Amino acid sequence: MSDFRFLSRALPAALLIAGALLAGPLAAKVAPGDLVAPIADYKIWVTQETQALRDKTQGFVDAIKAGDLARAKALYAPARVHYERIEPIAELFSDLDKSIDVRADDFEKKEADPAFSGFHRLEYGLFAKNSTEGLGPIADRLIADIRELEGRIKTLTVPPEKVVGGAAALIEEVAKTKISGEEDRYSRTDLWDFHANVEGARKIHELLRPLTTREAPKLVKRIDANFAKVDKLLESYAAPGGGFVSYEKVTQKHRNAMRGPVNALAEDLSKLRGTLGLD
Amino acid sequence: MDRDQPRSPARRHLLAGAAGLAAAAALPSGGQAQAQAQAQPPAPAEAPLLIPFEGVHQAGIATPQPYAGLVAAFDLLVESRGELRELFALLTDRARFLTQGGRPPELDPRFPPADSGILGPEIKPERLTVTVSVGASFFDERFGLGRLCPPELVAMPDFPNDALEAERCHGDLLLQLCAETPEETLHALRDIIKHTPDTLSLRWKQEGFASTHGQRRSKPIGAGRNLLGFKDGTANPDIADAAEMARIVWCDGPGWMAGGSYQVVRLIRNYVERWDRTPLGEQQAIFGRQRDSGAPLGRSDEFDDPAYADDPGGARIPLDAHIRLANPDGRRGLASPLIRRAFNYSNGATLSGQLDMGLLFICYQNSLRDGFVAVQQRLNGEPLEEYIKPFGGGYFFALPGVQGPDAILGDTLLREAGISALPTQKEG
Ligand code: HEM
Repeated sequence: MSDFRFLSRALPAALLIAGALLAGPLAAKVAPGDLVAPIADYKIWVTQETQALRDKTQGFVDAIKAGDLARAKALYAPARVHYERIEPIAELFSDLDKSIDVRADDFEKKEADPAFSGFHRLEYGLFAKNSTEGLGPIADRLIADIRELEGRIKTLTVPPEKVVGGAAALIEEVAKTKISGEEDRYSRTDLWDFHANVEGARKIHELLRPLTTREAPKLVKRIDANFAKVDKLLESYAAPGGGFVSYEKVTQKHRNAMRGPVNALAEDLSKLRGTLGLD
Repeated sequence: MDRDQPRSPARRHLLAGAAGLAAAAALPSGGQAQAQAQAQPPAPAEAPLLIPFEGVHQAGIATPQPYAGLVAAFDLLVESRGELRELFALLTDRARFLTQGGRPPELDPRFPPADSGILGPEIKPERLTVTVSVGASFFDERFGLGRLCPPELVAMPDFPNDALEAERCHGDLLLQLCAETPEETLHALRDIIKHTPDTLSLRWKQEGFASTHGQRRSKPIGAGRNLLGFKDGTANPDIADAAEMARIVWCDGPGWMAGGSYQVVRLIRNYVERWDRTPLGEQQAIFGRQRDSGAPLGRSDEFDDPAYADDPGGARIPLDAHIRLANPDGRRGLASPLIRRAFNYSNGATLSGQLDMGLLFICYQNSLRDGFVAVQQRLNGEPLEEYIKPFGGGYFFALPGVQGPDAILGDTLLREAGISALPTQKEG
């Protein structure tokens, strides 16, 4: 067929996204049992991350309630990253996800909406209003939500397709709102979240590596290469004391440059489920 | 199919009915063709739906304008000259497939599908064209192509009435997608974006439509109307006249540029509420044409000569009327050597509750200086400016055509730059 010929003739390895479309296995060979170990390992990791989320958020909440603005500001991004890493799982609980991580955009009245809560509501108070005033009850609700989340995750049977699909979902988050700088608009700590999403996706990719390497070695190589490109760009914005510099410091040129590997990762990671034969 | 294009007075008579339309597409212009058409009314025939992809020039320039148009500007993410070549090879393959049609590969349903599916399982193009052009920034230090930059290509400057928005201007590469239906242009755009995640980054896009298909509205015949209600395109040079296109549109060099054309895209908002509150007489004076017939003021037919020689003082057609400033000579494309290929756009509402609509202006010429720039400089300060606001667009150079099954877009440029035509690798 003519279109096949055109595709395969010209597609270069470096650009080869469509190649995987063509080369995609017609039937996956991964037995369901093969996924048991990586999924169990993932669950352990998520549990650890959830504990870290709870502990760090507790510190963050304490600082707010003590009226320690500087400390609260400093603890905002380091607490959030644990949430951003496990987003594919956290998102399974949409009620909690909304109250923990909603952005003002989701409300018609934006920041003024009384239902605006969670991390970004606190971020708004601390960074835009430069005050801890009135944030106590919102902080209390956040830590309560996170304890609830921890409890629910404990009893959760992690669905394999959510884990495998989660790698792509995390990168879609980056492509959708992190590169544009819409996520942490008051604190400009977007790169912390960006990095956390990438770490979350990489964790899944690493756990699946033995299986995916067997099924689609070239896909794995391309994914590795694009993770490396993202790392390199992120490294250039690392802050001396850990974490990242303000997103305002990221040049437009680099914001554009990030779209390449991020979009390529989104395309390639979207093939993991098919590669492993998951519905 | 020719019905979308303005045409010369000599030709329009044979285009009175739909049957005549189909016949006209196949006929050369001129008296002989007219005689034949009159002698033998042709049977209704489907105009060809596939526009050839290969040619000395890219399709989508001297090609009759279909209903839907879209331009999308991109920044390049490729880092090396080799990757650049691969990108052009990929664009060539996608454009060839999209414009000529076929069946996208079917994959295991556990994978994301190869195609967006918005045209169904089989791609049957209806006059889809994919036209690729490059902006001045394409020739910056990244690929060392500076010395090959078309001599007149610069980043589009700010004209006096402009309010350019940086995020709606310029770009390394521009795709112009045209087809009979908007879903086809969107399908093509999504296909290309899906195939270029790490090589092209979307900068801005604008969709438009040509109001040329309301056959009953554009009677007796001629150009479609813009959103100010006026026939737009009437005085365009005849795209079927190859000599005229060679004189006005196609570059014959230097070097790699032969067969290409300078392209100008302007996003121009029209203040339509205000326009609709303007007396008709004033509207007509602003353009120098009658709204309903499209005829020059004081004449009776859309294709009548404006005859400025009879009206040196501007009593009939004001000296600052749009058409008179654009082309003071009055003869087709003489003082305005360019072809216009504009679409209307409509984008929703502004913050002040007004309609955001206007013209997706596109024109082609072999000299920016003699074409767009000369015309725009004469138009600067025209009375129409009170009703329009250019806010985006850019200058680009439409690459020469793809000649032969092994040729790729931009190959004359790449060859001249010494970027070798390495056979591209196949993924196993
Ligand atoms: C929103 C903006 C504009 C509107 C609404 C508009 C509308 C029109 C109309 C109604 C005509 C008469 C019919 C025809 O011959 O097509 C015309 C003619 C023309 N326009 Fe525009 N135009 C616009 C912008 C421009 C720009 C930016 C240029 C180029 C710099 C341009 C160049 C011309 C030329 C060359 C003619 C033909 C003049 C002749 O030979 O009689 N127009 N335009």
